[in-house]
Amino acid sequence: MALSRACARLWRTCISSFSSHPALVPAAVRLQSSSSGTPAPAAVLVPRTSLSQPPWADAPASVPVERDSAAVVTAVNNLISGQDFGRLFAVVHFAGRQWKVTDEDLILVENHIPAECGDRIRLEKVLLVGAQDFTLVGRPLLTKDLVWVEATVVEKTESRPKVHMRFIRRKRYQRKRIIVQPQTVLRINSVRLAPALT
Amino acid sequence: MTSRGTPSRFLKSVLQNGVGRYICQLKRVSIIFSKNAQSSLGVRDFIEEGVVDYAKKNPGTVVYVSPQGSRIPKIVAEYLNGSVREEIVTSKTAPQISELLTKLTNQSGLDIIRIRKPFHTDTPSIQGQWHPFTNRPPSIGPIRPEKTDAH
Repeated sequence: MALSRACARLWRTCISSFSSHPALVPAAVRLQSSSSGTPAPAAVLVPRTSLSQPPWADAPASVPVERDSAAVVTAVNNLISGQDFGRLFAVVHFAGRQWKVTDEDLILVENHIPAECGDRIRLEKVLLVGAQDFTLVGRPLLTKDLVWVEATVVEKTESRPKVHMRFIRRKRYQRKRIIVQPQTVLRINSVRLAPALT
Repeated sequence: MTSRGTPSRFLKSVLQNGVGRYICQLKRVSIIFSKNAQSSLGVRDFIEEGVVDYAKKNPGTVVYVSPQGSRIPKIVAEYLNGSVREEIVTSKTAPQISELLTKLTNQSGLDIIRIRKPFHTDTPSIQGQWHPFTNRPPSIGPIRPEKTDAH
């Protein structure tokens, strides 16, 4: 067990710049978090054996960076400030689920919401907003001053009666229960973007 | 019964309620009860104290109170899409009846059957529906996995 942990630590390789000594392989040690008290020890050279390196190829050293990121941001900024997009859609986290939502569409939520029929509600947890030409992805959420998603409570009903039956054969055990759950229907009124993007 | 043996419908609203103004879908409520029977006691209490407040709170709904002799007390709710729902309120107390009335007010007249999908959109795709050739550069010849020259 201690041996496998040591092997796992040895396999965590850093960006390999020591290829001077072919028999010895550099091995980076796991970075300690700031909460622990012990300082991180220096990199250790281990002899190259069949288990000193993982059998899979290393990831490429440099991740390809977006060269045109500034240009993309200015282009999207211009589109947003000029309100030059059509319909917007948003991915919204609500009632434990994520919904892809546009204007004028309906959502059925299987629980009771403390809002009356006809109330307007703002959905705050927005993960993603997209238009025809661009998408804004949150990490994980977008800020509240950027997106504005509003909905109206249209209907608060109960679901159809569902039968919950338990039966064990040959043991004379059966229970029957009718389950009716409250449901709320929301109509998404609008998905809006703020005119400025940072 | 199972969902296959019972009718089902898609989620919808009556005449796009909510897009503009929200409109209460309950058109008419008729409370039928008996003046002397014991089963209508709760209904009579509700009519004494709660029905006027309810009618004032829901100005778009018409409330009819009709005492009929030797009848089972019931509430008949009619909705804007024409559906009628009858609820028998024998031996219910006044707060239970007011709760039932709020439930009927919050409903639309659509059938309470299995709803196939918990969402409904008229525009399912904005950026274009995906098909296997989206984001795929055109190519001639067989497609092979890219060879990454890493170590």
